[in-house]
Parts: sequence; C-alpha cells; structure tokens
Amino acid sequence: MYFVPHRGIFVVAIAASALLVAGCSAAGAERAAVESPASAAPPVAAATTTYPVTIDNCGTEVTFTQAPTRVVTIKSSTTELLVALGLTDRIIGQAFPDGPMPTAVAGHSITPVEIPVISDKVPGQEAVLDLEPDLVFAGWESNFGPEGAGDRDALHSLGVLSYVAPSACKEPGYKPEKLSFDDVFADVSEAGAIFDVPDAATTLVADSRAVLDDIAPLPAPLTALWWSSGVDLPYVGAGTGAPQMIMEAAGLTNVAARVDDTWTQMSMEAIVDANPQVIVLVDSAWSTAAKKKELLAANPATAGLDAVKNERYIVAPFAETEAGVRNADLAAQIAVEAARFTP
Amino acid sequence: MQTTALRPAAAAASAHRPGARIRVPVLGAGLGVVLAVSVLFAVTIGPAQITFGEAWQSVFAHLGFGDPALSPLRDGIIWQLRMPRILTAGAVGAGLALCGAVMQALTRNPLADPYLLGLSSGASLGAVGVILLGVGVLLPVAAFGGAIVALAATLLVASAAGTLTPTRTILAGLAVSSFFGALTSLAIFWSATGDTYREILSWLLGSLSGAQWSSVAIAGAALAVVGVPLLFSGRVLDAFAFGDTAASALGVSVTRTRWIMLTATALLTGALVAVSGAIGFIGLILPHMVRLVVGRGNRRVLPLAALTGAIFLIWVDTAARTVFDPRELPVGILTAAIGAPVFALLLLRSRSSS
Repeated sequence: MYFVPHRGIFVVAIAASALLVAGCSAAGAERAAVESPASAAPPVAAATTTYPVTIDNCGTEVTFTQAPTRVVTIKSSTTELLVALGLTDRIIGQAFPDGPMPTAVAGHSITPVEIPVISDKVPGQEAVLDLEPDLVFAGWESNFGPEGAGDRDALHSLGVLSYVAPSACKEPGYKPEKLSFDDVFADVSEAGAIFDVPDAATTLVADSRAVLDDIAPLPAPLTALWWSSGVDLPYVGAGTGAPQMIMEAAGLTNVAARVDDTWTQMSMEAIVDANPQVIVLVDSAWSTAAKKKELLAANPATAGLDAVKNERYIVAPFAETEAGVRNADLAAQIAVEAARFTP
Repeated sequence: MQTTALRPAAAAASAHRPGARIRVPVLGAGLGVVLAVSVLFAVTIGPAQITFGEAWQSVFAHLGFGDPALSPLRDGIIWQLRMPRILTAGAVGAGLALCGAVMQALTRNPLADPYLLGLSSGASLGAVGVILLGVGVLLPVAAFGGAIVALAATLLVASAAGTLTPTRTILAGLAVSSFFGALTSLAIFWSATGDTYREILSWLLGSLSGAQWSSVAIAGAALAVVGVPLLFSGRVLDAFAFGDTAASALGVSVTRTRWIMLTATALLTGALVAVSGAIGFIGLILPHMVRLVVGRGNRRVLPLAALTGAIFLIWVDTAARTVFDPRELPVGILTAAIGAPVFALLLLRSRSSS
C-alpha cells in the first residue's frame, strides 16, 4: 500500500475563468512565450452538456449524470487541464504533482490558489475516499488499481467515477498510434463536455492552436535529443509520444524518432553517433537539467558533441513534457530558443 | 546419481579427470588468447557504424602506433565508451568468477557466490542512497561503503555466535542480506520519483553502461591487488575441501585463514559491485562450469574460472549493448539468460559421460 507522507498545501493557480466562461477571445490576455495571434474562433453560443453522458474511457464505461463537483486529480496534467478550464473550485484535492503550476496557459494568465495535496505520489484508495470525491481524474491509467487510487470498477461501485485523459490510454484501439496535438485537444474538448464547460474548452483549444500556428519555421533544420532522465543510459523522447509531438511542432528533428515508442532508453554510443545539434533537457526534481549538463560535459565521449561544446541546451520543465494543456506553449518556447541555435 | 560439481567435497581430491593436469596450461594459454581476441573484436562491435579497420586504427593510435582515422567524436566512441566498458567487463567477469570459486571452496557450499556475505545488498543500499536519496557521495564510493558495512555486520554476527564456521557465516550473511534488502526496498518504495526506479533497477540487476576509464582503474586495481593473490590460494583452498579438522591437521590455521580470505574476497567483490552493480550468475555458476570441465582442484579452477569469467562477461555485455540498439539491457539479465542454458547443457553432458 501507499502511504501519505504528509498533507501539505501546494500553492497553485487558477485560470482567468471568468474570461473563459464569458466566451471572450484571448486577444486581451497576456501570452506566455509568443506574440498574440489573431483572435481565437468564437465559441458556439449557449453550448451546454445534456446529461447523462456516457463515455468509453480506455475501455471502461463511465456515465456522468451531472458535472462532477468534487474531483481528486492525480498528476499535474489533470490538475492543470481543469485549472485551465476554469474549474479550480471543483478540485478538492490533488496528488502526484510534477512541479509548480504554470503562470499562463495559451495566453490565459493564471492566478495562484491553493489546492490541498493529498499525496506526493499516487494516493492510496482510502486517502482518496476519505475526501468523498465524485470523480477521480488520473493522468495515467496505472494510477488506478488496488495498489493505487483503487480499482476503477471498485470505485464506481462506491459511487466514485474514474476518468483517465484519453490520450493516456494504453489498450490497443484506445492508445494513440502516434500522439498528436489533435489527441491532446480532444482531451480538452471531452473534459469540457464532462464538466459542462464546452465554451471554455473550445476557447482553450482555439487559443492553443493559435500558439502552434504562430510558431515560425526554423531558418534551417536542426536535429535534437530529448533527454528526460537517466544517468548512464539516458531515457529519451522516442518516435510516438509527447516529446516527438512537441519537437515536430517546434521544427526539430528527433534523433530517436525511429524508435516506435513514447520514450526509450538510448545508449551513450547511439547518442554520440547521432551527434544532435540541440539537446532538450527535461528539468525535474529527480533529474535536474543542471545535473544532465554536468554529466554531458564530464563524460569525455559526450563532451565532444556539437550541442555540448556550444552549450546548445533548451530546458523544459517536466510538467510541460507530458501530454497536456502546456505542450503548445512549450513547443513555442522551444522553437524560439532553437531559432537562436540555427547555424 | 551425483554430478561432479555437487559431489561432497571430501571426495574432491580423487575427482581429477584423467589428463586434466596436462590440459590445464594449454587450456589457460588458449583462454588467454581468446580473451585478447575477444577484446579486439568486441571493440569493433556497437550501434555506431565503425569498421574493423577504423576501430583498430583508433585503438592502436591511442597505444602510440599511428594516427586515428576517425573524427574525434567517433574516436571517442571507441576509446571513451567501448574500450573502457570492455575492459571493465573483463575485470568484473574475472573477479566475480574468481570470488565465487573462492567462496564456494571456503564455505564448502556449492550455492555460495561472491555476494554471500550480504555484499550486494549492502552495495545496493549505498547506491540507492545516492540515486534516490541524493546522498552527496560518488556512487561507487557509496556502493563500496555499503558493501563493507554489510561485510562487517555479517562477520560480526557470525563470529559473535562462535567460531567462524561455514554454516554460521552463510546464515549471518543471509540475515544481513535480508535486512539490508528490506531497507533498500523501503527506500525505493518510499522515495522513487518519476522514473528513477528505472535507474535503480538497472543498477540492481547489474549494468556496465556507465563504465569509464575510472571504472577500469577501480576494477583493475582491485583485481591486481586482491585478485592476483587469491588466484594463487588454490593449495590452501584444497586443504579446506577435506573439512576444517583435516585442514588444521594439514597445518592450515582454519579460522584465521577463513577470516583473511573472506575479507579479501569481499573487498574485491565490493570494488567490482561498486562499478557494475550486482551482476548475478557469473560468480555462482561459472566456477561450476569450469569444474565440470577440469575437475575440482582449486589450483586449476581459480585461474581458469577468472579467464572464463572475463571472456563470458565481455561477450554478454557486447550483446547487452548492441542487440537492442539504441536500447540496452542491464547485463545481469543476459548473464543468466545466456549462461543458465549453457550450464544446463554442461550438466547434462557431464552426466552422460560419467
């Protein structure tokens, strides 16, 4: 079983929800990394969700009879999605936060608010049930199960619904062959339908698409390595996951794209052989970007890489690198930084 | 039916195979050549497309003959990644096989391996401390320190219970292993964040993917300082084969010798584990494989086990780093996956020939 190390309070943020719900465009809001694009598409007027809504979620049927009001989120990606949709007041507890919340998502600035952290990791079933939620919203399917937040069917029988971001489904037929922004945006739209905020979802998707459309093509092609974690055997972004999707959007060519997986281990020899022009370093508490820079410079074999010699590093906070509402902003930021590195 | 390897130790002296005495130097020289050739060929194999000629030219250039044909980056692949890794594999393989053979002889237990005194669990705890808990020490130092603490604990428990007999040593090692293992599991369970579990798992299974010249220095120095004297301890170990009473009748100071040799073996193992993690199978099975071929005399078994261990680990690690390009497997998975069927085959052959 899992223990709850402490019940801390985690300072997070709230979306400019009034702005979203009112259906305004993002034109007036600040943009995180890029210039404001042309105004987002106006949302469909007076869209509401008709309940009950039944969803085939990763092979589990989930029926919502009303918009959930007491949600426990697991992983940053789920918390951030709800916050970006202006649903912060529906979150009664969060677990497994990957890092600090963003200050803005697709141009919508976010003001800090506190959401109780019920566990630093996957919470145990009792810690979840103790809060009497009506929905547990998980970033990974594996967050559910008897060792985690509880078996999905068991939760349902107790009147607690379970939901996984659809792009994170693992079963054949549900798992995206190759993750695309369409999948990420479909997650947003489905959440909008579940929570009866379709307009907010439409606006968020439109503004995120605008961020992507705004990305200027690189002056010249660049190859890149996406180093997520690992020391001797780096764990890198491969051909079909969020890293590949973000790198493609930013105009970078992934040196590990040939591996048909979301992430993969890549030997130092294969990395040196590929000699990437740019290295994206994922920054997390357990594998900081600074530590990875040190490793690259200290290993005589990697010290000679073009990217290392010229310090062509782009740092990406971990929470932005898993499929979610922050991916578009990250792609835009990477594109801007990579443009400086083009020969 | 009794296999040669598992026959009670008292019968050991008579278990020499006919002709084994003559074959051993030849076998040793042959294995030495195979080892050298293995190093030269393994260095040409890897995910990066580098030809035999280019690889050798690079190696010889670093040894002072001629100039490298490769770009500095690709030269680095040969000389900074492959070569130190191959040499570390050789040293670790030789050391583990040697330590296993010595442990089995010292304790008269065919199931003894180099980690018998709780060493791998102690080293693992040290490594977990660095990888997961961020203890500010270099990983090999922490692993070695952990191994030494475990060794001290085992010897303390075993000798506090009375004379240092094989049974007491093994049981004390078991107790220490279990305890340190529990602490390691607790640390992993409690604090593995993100995908650090992958890093720690690959260390626990044994991996050479981090090998650098410093690893060669650590493993090589330990092998030279502790391993070489152990290589020549065959005569003393043969005396142990007859039991403690017989050994002391033969003039061996049993307890003192056992203390010294257990400590020496543990120090060597600790140094090896520090650079590679706890690679399994080699220390347990390779000595038996060698005994199946040359008989039980330790003067033959020790050097041949060391040579075989070096060659075996070099090739298995070459497979671990190339077959799944660009991924790698922790070599500890492959040592057992490849070694166990080979051992089973040898076991079957020895049955049909005896």
